[in-house]
Amino acid sequence: MSWRADVATVRALVRRALNEIFRVPGAAIPGILAPTIFFLGLTSVFGSLTLLPGFTTSSYQSFLIPISMLQGAGFTGAATGVNLARDIEQGWFDRLLAAPAPRPVLLAGLVLSASLRSLLPATFLLAVGLAIGVHWPGLLGLLIALFLVMGMAVVAATWGTSLAFRFRTQSAAPLMQIGMLLAILTTTAYAPQHLLTGWLQTVAKYNPVTQVVEAARQGFVGSVSWSDTWPGLLTLFGLAAILGFFALRGMRRMTID
Amino acid sequence: MTALRGRSGPPVIVRGTVAAIETQQLAREFEGGIKAVDGVDLEVAEGEIYGFLGPNGAGKTTTVRMLTTLLLPTGGTAVVAGHDVAKDPGAVRRQIGVALQEAALDPLMTGRELLELQATLHAIPKSEGRERGQWLLDRVGLTLAADRRVGTYSGGMRRRLDLASALIHRPVVLFLDEPTTGLDPVSRKAIWEEVRKLNDDGTTVFLTTQYLEEADQLADRVGIISGGRLVAEGTPAVLKAEVGKPHLELCLVEQDGKESRAEEVLTRFGRPLPARDGTLMVELDAGASQVGPIVVALNQAGLDVESLDLVQPSLDDVFVQQTGQHLEGAQRETDETEAVQP
Amino acid sequence: MTGRLAANARVVAALGTRSVRQTLRRPQLLAPLILFPTALLAIQTAGAGRAVDLPGFPPVDNFLSFMLAGSIVQSVMFTGNSGAIAFAIDIEMGFTDRLFAAPISRYAVVLGRLAATATLGAMIAVYFIVLGLIFGAEIKEGLPAAIWIVVLTSTSALAFGSIGAAIALRTNSASVVQGIFPLVFVILFLSDAFFPANLMLDPAAWIAQYNPLSFIVNGIREPVIDGWHLTTQLKAIASVIGIGAFGLLLCEGALRGRVRRGV
Repeated sequence: MSWRADVATVRALVRRALNEIFRVPGAAIPGILAPTIFFLGLTSVFGSLTLLPGFTTSSYQSFLIPISMLQGAGFTGAATGVNLARDIEQGWFDRLLAAPAPRPVLLAGLVLSASLRSLLPATFLLAVGLAIGVHWPGLLGLLIALFLVMGMAVVAATWGTSLAFRFRTQSAAPLMQIGMLLAILTTTAYAPQHLLTGWLQTVAKYNPVTQVVEAARQGFVGSVSWSDTWPGLLTLFGLAAILGFFALRGMRRMTID
Repeated sequence: MTALRGRSGPPVIVRGTVAAIETQQLAREFEGGIKAVDGVDLEVAEGEIYGFLGPNGAGKTTTVRMLTTLLLPTGGTAVVAGHDVAKDPGAVRRQIGVALQEAALDPLMTGRELLELQATLHAIPKSEGRERGQWLLDRVGLTLAADRRVGTYSGGMRRRLDLASALIHRPVVLFLDEPTTGLDPVSRKAIWEEVRKLNDDGTTVFLTTQYLEEADQLADRVGIISGGRLVAEGTPAVLKAEVGKPHLELCLVEQDGKESRAEEVLTRFGRPLPARDGTLMVELDAGASQVGPIVVALNQAGLDVESLDLVQPSLDDVFVQQTGQHLEGAQRETDETEAVQP
Repeated sequence: MTGRLAANARVVAALGTRSVRQTLRRPQLLAPLILFPTALLAIQTAGAGRAVDLPGFPPVDNFLSFMLAGSIVQSVMFTGNSGAIAFAIDIEMGFTDRLFAAPISRYAVVLGRLAATATLGAMIAVYFIVLGLIFGAEIKEGLPAAIWIVVLTSTSALAFGSIGAAIALRTNSASVVQGIFPLVFVILFLSDAFFPANLMLDPAAWIAQYNPLSFIVNGIREPVIDGWHLTTQLKAIASVIGIGAFGLLLCEGALRGRVRRGV
């Protein structure tokens, strides 16, 4: 199988995954709206936290928006896992397994669709956020944030697909969703590191996703720098590689168990 | 092994060339010690239609999943199209077409899109895949529905599309797992016709079914599996002949009082069987060719025949002999027949 | 009359027990009701805990004591939604038809479902009270307050559940009921479940002052962080009665509609 054939396979699987959005009326709406609802809600509820001495910005919207963007990516990726579990339950995935396409290519096709789909809620959220006063992050800041969102969607999709291969049922959906939510919220999601309390201050310090959050946030609350960017990128590549390994192993185990 | 087809009759198996499918002590054990397949030895010749018959839970689908590389065997070996399913599954996948039990299709895709996706998965260049897809859609009678979403297709249409998708890359061996389960008789016959055409073109077909008539109609040879083991194998005719002889069931015009005279006549042609609900029965020593002479002999004895029925041993009889149970398909077909009779 | 009442009560108890058992036997149903709110409570308490230092924040021992009521109400609203989804699935599967065709009151069928939701609400209240006590919260008014919180939570669950049940009866669709789940968060954000209304941003702050959910949350929160105040508790009770009456009225209308449509 040549690399051209592999690329064609990935494209075909991505196109198929996008059918869920374009061919099911209204299916995309909850996924697009939910991050924005959370963003508006949390901004309204916790907005006064910026009054705390030492808070790094006076605009809680600007502080919070990267979290909501990443949450949207997390939901999108988890949905990839849920869809895969459905495909496994209904026998569709056997069709892919019985084909000669290499397993990593099949996995790439599954997860890359999530990265494209994550742009939908992110774009809507950005539009709403900018309308209510989120600082413009600059073109570079925006591109970095969007790239990290796409990368987070890939990570979430590899998480979701590895759970799908492990449990082979849509009942695992809550685990897929909650896992991503916890990974994103146990960071500097609500406040800067030094203003977090108790266990969260420690967890956020060592949670690799904090690097992703800070890299995505930098343009919205200040200026962009490479030193604030590369840890986030490295984290995403690392997480994608590790979770991808587990997902691939799970796919191979489909023919063993 | 190669199956050579004459103008009529079953294929002659010529040994010496590569078998399309060959298993040796093929086994699959699941957690809890459940042996779904327990040492199956079978050989399918190139160009043969092999029917794999058995009730639900016998191990048919597990066997097919191992042969199609969807499940690793836990024991024994299987070689499909010259490649070991465990050691070289990629090579096996390039040679086989698979239409599984559930006809799992994406309802949001159109028929054409599904075939194009299948072509892509088999590394067929785009234009060639399109052309081949169109040809297959025409062949299975889905030209007009090609650009409609699969979710709008009937059960029969989905099966035909599933079959077409299994053929996109011109497989050497085609696996059909219960291809007509749940279909109406017309759709079923359409699938049978298609399978015969494919086989005429040289494709080896491994077909699992729980329908006796399907195995009888299509298969050159039949393997019967029960409890994970192959309990019988051979051509349908040979298997049935091994079980017993055909019998004739007949009713006479104004039969009352004439049974003993009829029995005297029938004794000359075979062993009379106990009458059932007024129907006289005789086991035929020499088969269907005795029917005419029996009617003539009865007429000569002044006995007119009102109705008669020649009943051949069925594959279900073969199954009952081997396992002591009926095949579910047999039971269902019996129920369906009884349901429509007044 | 008394006989019929007793018979209906038995039906309500039997159906309620079935629904509670249904939920407790499936861990994947419990996770969103318990695990998710617990995780959010832990994260929000630690993430926004410094808020107690903000001028205007009510005097509390710690942010957990403040947040506890919000988590209880959040969990109870999830329970109401989850019960409504289960009810809708029963309707889709035809199980409810079996009950409606039996010689029992249709209202008993609905009340059975709501009784289960109320029972689960009480269990949730006990869970969060114990959790809060373990991690440093203190209930100022002691055991009577804890009991009152359980009662208020349980009746709130019934009230929220009645709205979900009415939607299920009207639409016969689990996916429609599931679709209102995001609304639960909207209503929560527009209340002072997670933060004092005086420190929220407008327009959410303004809405929170008049949101009946805020009154219920404060009715649960007050005995924990402060002490009894009759006005607060009366507002909470009135809100529960109001929401419950509205929901039960919707249920009644939906049941009548089913009879009219022959469903």
